[in-house]
Amino acid sequence: MTLGRLALRSAATAFLLLLVVLPVGTLLHRTFAGGLGPVIAALGSRVAWSALWLTLWSAFAVTIINALLGAVTAWVLVRYRFPGRALLNAVIDLPIAVPTVVSGIMLVILYGPQSPVGAFLARHGVKVLFQPLGVLVALAFITFPFVVRAVEPVLVDLEREQEEAAFTLGAWPYATFRRVVLPAIAPAIVTGSLLTFARALGEFGTVVIVAGNLPRRTLTAPVYIYGAVESGEPQAASAMSAILVLISFVLIVLVDRYTRRRQRERG
Amino acid sequence: MRRLACLLVLCACSSGAPEASGPTDHLIVAAYTAPREAMEDGIIPAFRAAHRARTGRDVIVHSSYQGSGAQARAVIAGFEADVVLLALAGDVDKIAKAGLVAADWRAHAGQDGTVARTLVVLAVRKGNPLGITDFADLRRPGIEVLCPNPRTSGGAMWNVLAIYGSAGNDLTAVRDVFANVVVMDKGARESVINFERGIGDVAITYEQEVVAARLAGRDYDAVVPSPTMIIDVPAAVVRRPNSEDNPAAAELIAFLTSPEGQEILHHYGFRRLDAPLPPGFGIDRFGGWPRAQKELFGQSGTLTRVIEEGQETR
Repeated sequence: MTLGRLALRSAATAFLLLLVVLPVGTLLHRTFAGGLGPVIAALGSRVAWSALWLTLWSAFAVTIINALLGAVTAWVLVRYRFPGRALLNAVIDLPIAVPTVVSGIMLVILYGPQSPVGAFLARHGVKVLFQPLGVLVALAFITFPFVVRAVEPVLVDLEREQEEAAFTLGAWPYATFRRVVLPAIAPAIVTGSLLTFARALGEFGTVVIVAGNLPRRTLTAPVYIYGAVESGEPQAASAMSAILVLISFVLIVLVDRYTRRRQRERG
Repeated sequence: MRRLACLLVLCACSSGAPEASGPTDHLIVAAYTAPREAMEDGIIPAFRAAHRARTGRDVIVHSSYQGSGAQARAVIAGFEADVVLLALAGDVDKIAKAGLVAADWRAHAGQDGTVARTLVVLAVRKGNPLGITDFADLRRPGIEVLCPNPRTSGGAMWNVLAIYGSAGNDLTAVRDVFANVVVMDKGARESVINFERGIGDVAITYEQEVVAARLAGRDYDAVVPSPTMIIDVPAAVVRRPNSEDNPAAAELIAFLTSPEGQEILHHYGFRRLDAPLPPGFGIDRFGGWPRAQKELFGQSGTLTRVIEEGQETR
């Protein structure tokens, strides 16, 4: 029994080492082997910084948008019965199932000048493709399922009686939501948002097609990394990669601490 | 990225089921993306027939198509190709530097390592409504230009050099054109596809891409600026340490430069090696690939800088 548990634990640790720690460690080692100097030099161009900035703010904006939309969508899916609900439920996962290149092509066709939607928007002076807005649309599309799927099971478990009790005790729907529902689903929203942010930070396949990759305008950090690799500058590529990895890591640690604290508070 | 490259290499292997019985030869080709149709539909079937006629044996050609730089890295990282067919000689040189292609590879194929040529041309809308004839026209305010990103597509360096060289190595010409560039796609094919979707007024592309698009039934015009960049397409045999060369490798390269091979390449839009060329210039004008790649297209290369400046003035 103890032996079996030990074996299981070693196997899990070995897997974690092999699959996650080693590749990330190699990247960090390669990046910082020569000290901080080469890293700073590799990121010394304004193009690199604006790519990182675009990636950070667009990932952040998309996380906020999808945290709100995702929570509302989960709410609707769980609390209401309406025709087409099963279909909607199935469609939500499509952005994860569809290859990212295909997502990019779909968006270019949809917002391109030959589609009615693209033509309509162009007539009203709205440009989506090859603009920062295009990056947002692409990221919002591919990260939409994360918050929905994180919040949904929590809402299913949350007994409706609690809401009804709050309501019959005189709480307005908004108060019911804020005092009863929100505290229950908040950790799930945070977890889903973290996944959303991490995915948005690293998204390449869709963005490279939709963004237009104009340096200092619509070039994102992952596309910058790809360009550095293609141009035979592994140092610049690994420096930028290391920064993205570190940002993700810090976020994961922060969120982990937040969820642990909440668990303790709830006893 | 490397893992992705290897996956692509594995997935992209294709073409040809054994037909003849008896022993079969195998040949692995690592090519860039533009000659895909020429290879799959033209060269490979004809080469198999020629090989069977000559040796009585069938040859199965496994070919992979991806960006020239990615292909070079894959071969250096261990992708066991027998032949490389790439977008620029600089990428073959990188493989030679790793010892996997003979240092004097230029002496072994076609003209100085080149097996076919193409030109940098301008794809324009049907009837050329904006009257574009030259690279200088791309500097006019308000024109929307498509050009792949030279940082992500090695072949796109040809396009930028074409603008630069046609203006007598004038950096402001490149800056002005890039002030009009609205999309910098990952690769040449993506750029042409976006143009076909109705995006932009002009696409800086290759003569061979325009012919390939016409063969596929799509219709738009192209103008050949004068002078323009003349693109050399190199091929070389890959050598493995401790193992003999695949004899079919040199045979394929010889077939590419044979009259039959040249005719097929010509059908798919490439210029024959013996064909007359319009006024133009080659990579020599910029001091060869190693110098151009470092001084013009490096992270702080002059053309990299000017492209960014152009984008800022939009």
